[in-house]
Amino acid sequence: MSLRTDVRHGGRIARAEFVRSLRGYVGSKRRLAGLAVVLLFFGGNFAFALPTAYVVGRTARSVDAIPFFAPAATAVPVVLLGLAALRTLERIGRVDAEELVLTAVHPRAVVLGLVGAELGRLAVWFGVPLAATVTAFGLGVGAPWLLLSAGVVALPLVCWAAVWGYTAGVGVLRLLRRLPGVRRVLKGAGLLVLVGFVVASQFLGRYLVADDTSVRALLSPLAFDPLTDYVALAFVGTPLARPTSPWALTVFAGLAALTPVGLAVATRQASRLWFTDTPARTDAREAKTSTGWLTPPAPFAWQPAGRIAWGVLVRTARRPQRLGHLVIVLFFVGPLGTTVVQSSREALGPLVAAAGVGLGAYLAGATFGLNPLGDDRPQMPFLLLTAADPRTLVRGRVLAGLGVGLPVAVGVPLASALVGTDPLYVAVFAATGVWMCLAAGPFAVGLGCAYPIYEEREFWGTEMVVPSTLVTVAYLFVVGGGSIVGLVATWYAVTGHLAVTPAFVAGVGVYVALTAGLSYGSYRYAIRRYRRYTLA
Amino acid sequence: MPSTDADLAVEATDLRKEYGPEVALDGVSLSISTGTVYGFLGPNGAGKTTTMRLLTGLAQPTSGTVRVCGVSVDDRRALAAHVGYLPETPPLYDEFSAREQLDYVADLRDVPRDVARERIDDYLDRFDLTEDADRRIGSYSKGMRQKTAFVQSVLHDPEVLFLDEPTSGLDPRAARRIRESIVEFADAGTTVFLSTHILPVVEAVADEVAVLFEGRLVAEGSPMDVKARAEMGESSSLEDAFLAVTSDARSAEEG
Repeated sequence: MSLRTDVRHGGRIARAEFVRSLRGYVGSKRRLAGLAVVLLFFGGNFAFALPTAYVVGRTARSVDAIPFFAPAATAVPVVLLGLAALRTLERIGRVDAEELVLTAVHPRAVVLGLVGAELGRLAVWFGVPLAATVTAFGLGVGAPWLLLSAGVVALPLVCWAAVWGYTAGVGVLRLLRRLPGVRRVLKGAGLLVLVGFVVASQFLGRYLVADDTSVRALLSPLAFDPLTDYVALAFVGTPLARPTSPWALTVFAGLAALTPVGLAVATRQASRLWFTDTPARTDAREAKTSTGWLTPPAPFAWQPAGRIAWGVLVRTARRPQRLGHLVIVLFFVGPLGTTVVQSSREALGPLVAAAGVGLGAYLAGATFGLNPLGDDRPQMPFLLLTAADPRTLVRGRVLAGLGVGLPVAVGVPLASALVGTDPLYVAVFAATGVWMCLAAGPFAVGLGCAYPIYEEREFWGTEMVVPSTLVTVAYLFVVGGGSIVGLVATWYAVTGHLAVTPAFVAGVGVYVALTAGLSYGSYRYAIRRYRRYTLA
Repeated sequence: MPSTDADLAVEATDLRKEYGPEVALDGVSLSISTGTVYGFLGPNGAGKTTTMRLLTGLAQPTSGTVRVCGVSVDDRRALAAHVGYLPETPPLYDEFSAREQLDYVADLRDVPRDVARERIDDYLDRFDLTEDADRRIGSYSKGMRQKTAFVQSVLHDPEVLFLDEPTSGLDPRAARRIRESIVEFADAGTTVFLSTHILPVVEAVADEVAVLFEGRLVAEGSPMDVKARAEMGESSSLEDAFLAVTSDARSAEEG
C-alpha cells in the first residue's frame, strides 16, 4: 500500500519537476535562441549520422560486426551510473521547496520523483536523437521493431543505473558535508583532472594518428562479456540475433533484483542527507572577520574608479568561486600546452610569452567584464543613488579586470626571459600585452552589458550569477582571434620577416583602428546601459 | 483542568540541538494542548526556526523527543497528514501558477480532487488571489507569495499548523486576513504554532506564549502570565514584557 502511494506521489513529483524544467527551457527568448542554436548544430550532424547508422545496419552481418559493440555495451552502464551520480551531485541531491515536499510525502516518493524527472529530462535531450539513430539502424538491418526491443533491454539498465547513481551521488554529498575540506580538495582535483583530460585528449589523438594504432585493439580488453551478451538481447528477432547466453539472463536478473535494493539504499541515504544537519553550522564556521578599513593601495587609491576596482577585487578574493566561469579557458589552453611541451628550445620562450599575452588579454575582460549588470544588480539600488556616475562604475570594473590581466600579460613575457627569450622580444610582447589588455577590458564590459544574466544558478557547487555562455564564447572568439592575429603580426614584425610596405602599414592601421574602435564603442555602450538602467 | 496526553497536539521533551560546539537549543520542553494558538517569541538567533524544524521532523534533535498528535515525528508517513508548515521563505515554484501550485500540493496531500478544487477556489477567493490565480508565481509580489504559501499549508486541513512569520511583508489587509484565518482555524480545533516578531499579532490571537532566548525557554504561559512574570501591569503590552523577559535572561546570563 505504502509503495503504491509512494509511486503515485513520486510520479506526481516527477511530472511537476519535469514541467518546471520544460518551462525553464523555454522561459525566455534568450533560452529559446540557445535551444535553436543547439538544434541547428546537432540537427546538422544528424544529416550525416542517420544515413551512416542506416548503412551500418545494412552492412552488419552479426552483432559483433557492429563497430565497437562490445566496449560500447560495457561502457553504457558505467557511463549511465557516472552520469546519474554527477547529476545527483549537481542538481537532484535535494528537492526544491523541500519544507513543502518533505512534510507532505515520504522520502522514498521524493527520490522516485527526482529520479523520474531526471529520466524525463534525459529523454528530452537524448531520447529523440537516440531513438532516431536506433530506428535508422533498425531499418538498415531490416528490423524496424529494434527500437522497441532496444527499449525493453535498456529499461532495467537505466533504472538500475539511476537508483545506484543516485545512491552514490547522495553518499558523496553526505561525505562532503561531513568533511568540508574534502570538497575544496575535490574542486582543485577536478580542475586538474579537467586540464589533464584536455591535454591527454590532444596526446591521444596524435598518438592514434602517428602510430596508426587500432582503436578497436585498444578498447577490446575493456569489454565485459556478460554485459555484451545482455545488450545483444536487443537484437533478438533480428537477422543479427545470436544465441541467448545464460550470462545475459543473469545480468537481467541481477539488474531486476538490484534496482529495488538500490531504491531502498537511496531512500535511506537521502533521508540522512535531508533530515540531518551539518555537524557545525555553516554560518558559524564561515563567520570570518576583517579588521581595519577598506583602504585600497596605490594605484587603486588614486581615482574613485580605482577604489571601486579594489572593492571588486577584495570581494572576489574573499569568494573566489565567482571566478568559476573562467574555467572555460582551460579547453583552449590545454591544447596549447601540448604545443608548448613539444616545441623546440628556440621557440619555447616566444611561445610562452605569446601565451601569457593571450591569457592576460582574456583575463582582463573575462574576469569581471562579461556580466557587469548581472553582477552589480543586487547593489544597483545603492549604486544608482550614489554620487559615482555610470562612467566611474564601468571604469571600476574595467580596472579590476586589468588588475588581473595586466600582471599576466606583462609578467609572463618578462618571465619568459628566464628560458632564453631575446630581451627585444620580451619588451615587444610585454608592450603588446598591455595594448591587448587595454582593448579587451572595455570590449568585455560592452559585450557583457548587451546580454546580462540576472538569475543565480548553481555553478561549480556555488549559487551565483554567471555570464551567458553565448557571451563568453563570443568574447573568446573575438579576443582570441584578435590576439592571434596581433601576436602573429608582432612575431613576424619583430623577427624581421615583414617589410614595412604601405600594405603592411595599412593592415596595422586597420587592425589598430578596429581594435580601438570596437573597444571604445563597447565601453561607451556599457556606460549608456548603466546610465539607462532601471530596476525592474 | 490539566490536559492529558490525549489532549496534547505538540509534546516536546527536553529538546537539545547542537551544531558542533554550538548549542542552538538546550532542554526545551513544550506541551501544547489541542486547539491552542501558541505564540513562539524570541530575538533573532534564539533558535525559533530550529525548534520549528525539529517539531515538523525536518531536522533531528541531538537529544529529546517530539510527538505531534501522538505521532513521533520520526514516523514521517504518519506525521504528514497531521501537520501543515509555512516556513519563513515560502516554498513555492516560480514556474507554476498559484492554481497549479495548490493543485499539486493537494495531490501530494491526497486531498480528493473535487474537494481540493472546491477548497482551492474558496481560499483563492478569501485571499483575493482569484484574479491572479493563473499567473505564474514568479511574477507575484511578496504578499501574494506569502498568501499562496499560507493557503498551501492549510489545504489538507491539518490538525497542527506551524507558521513562521506568516504576516511578514504583508499589507495590513492581507495581514488581517491571515490573523482572522488563524483564529478561525483555532476555533475549528486546529492547533497553531505561531512564530513571529510582530508581537501585536501574537497579543491579538495567542492563547499561550513562550519566549525563547539563546536556545532556552525563559517564559511560558498566557500573555497575562508572561506580563505578570515580567512584573508588568495589565496596561503594558506584550512587547514590554518580551523586552523585560529577554533583558532579565541576558542579565542572568552575564551575571
